[in-house]
Amino acid sequence: MMRPEQIWIVIPAYNEGPVIEQVVAKVIGSGFPNVLVIDDGSKDDTASQARLAGARVLSHPINRGAGAAAQTGLSYARRQGWKCVVQIDADGQHHPEDIHRLVEVQAQTEADIVLGSRFLDPSPGIPPTRVLYNRISNVLTNTFCQRSYSDTQTGFRLLSARAIRNLRLRLDGFGYCSEMIVQAEEKGLTIAEAPIQVTYTDYSLNKGQDLVMGITTAVDLLWKLLFYPSKMK
Amino acid sequence: MKLEVYQIIVPLASLGFVFNLFRRFLKSKASWQEAALGAAFWMSVGIFALFPDAISKAIANFFGIKSNINAIIFFCLGLIFFFQYKLFFMLKKNQMATTELARKITLQQAEKEDLQS
Repeated sequence: MMRPEQIWIVIPAYNEGPVIEQVVAKVIGSGFPNVLVIDDGSKDDTASQARLAGARVLSHPINRGAGAAAQTGLSYARRQGWKCVVQIDADGQHHPEDIHRLVEVQAQTEADIVLGSRFLDPSPGIPPTRVLYNRISNVLTNTFCQRSYSDTQTGFRLLSARAIRNLRLRLDGFGYCSEMIVQAEEKGLTIAEAPIQVTYTDYSLNKGQDLVMGITTAVDLLWKLLFYPSKMK
Repeated sequence: MKLEVYQIIVPLASLGFVFNLFRRFLKSKASWQEAALGAAFWMSVGIFALFPDAISKAIANFFGIKSNINAIIFFCLGLIFFFQYKLFFMLKKNQMATTELARKITLQQAEKEDLQS
């Protein structure tokens, strides 16, 4: 099993100044000292707050989207030769202690990707609209997958060295969550799921996808899958 | 053949656009595919302005549409969809290039910082 110091926690962040210091501190407090924040062209003090909390920070010169930030994290991880990356959201909805669960499931299954699923052991208080958006996204994503996954839109995922080496995300927006799963299957990477807990606050609810963003994400993903399937590989 | 004012203005404007495309191609500012497609488009606009009835009736007959006005509407809708597709494709291409550039800058900066530390 991976030791905590062998694992890098990657947090894509955009305008998360009010919470990023706390999120990074919680991750480090959970026993994971290596934290990389990808500041996606934030207009606030996200980068300085993350540095203050002890994270290594890479900053995009302009805002390019969650998928673009995630891929920058992967590209950097590949260059550094990291063996394992766990990606979590920057809005504080995830519980960093769940990283241990993902690591355990990875050790048991030897999967290349472990998805932290909010719906295997559902936390109380997930808003019904979120459940609905996620169900629709699951149906859409699972249509293009060989297997069925309970939470295709989760931002909490563990990636092994093989996944880091092989994945090339091309969608800039939130569609990368589905793209990563479809591409991983195409490349023969194995995927497992582990239950995680989430806590939605007013802050995190304002940061997530709304209906318009969800529709744009779906159109983006469908466009790529239908017209440019080779770009998904 | 009695010509209306638009039947003089539109073909002349079309010729101007074709000439401009040819000039851009010679200056290597447009590929031959772009120049050829653009020239074909503007020439067909010019010819259509010269013979609107004959062409719209021919299109209506070809597609089995009853009136030539409907044929023009369908034809224009098709053109709009085509240009929409082309614009969307260009937009996506530009977005991908911008992201690649932003990532390159970020990783170069990170490399510098890593060397310094």
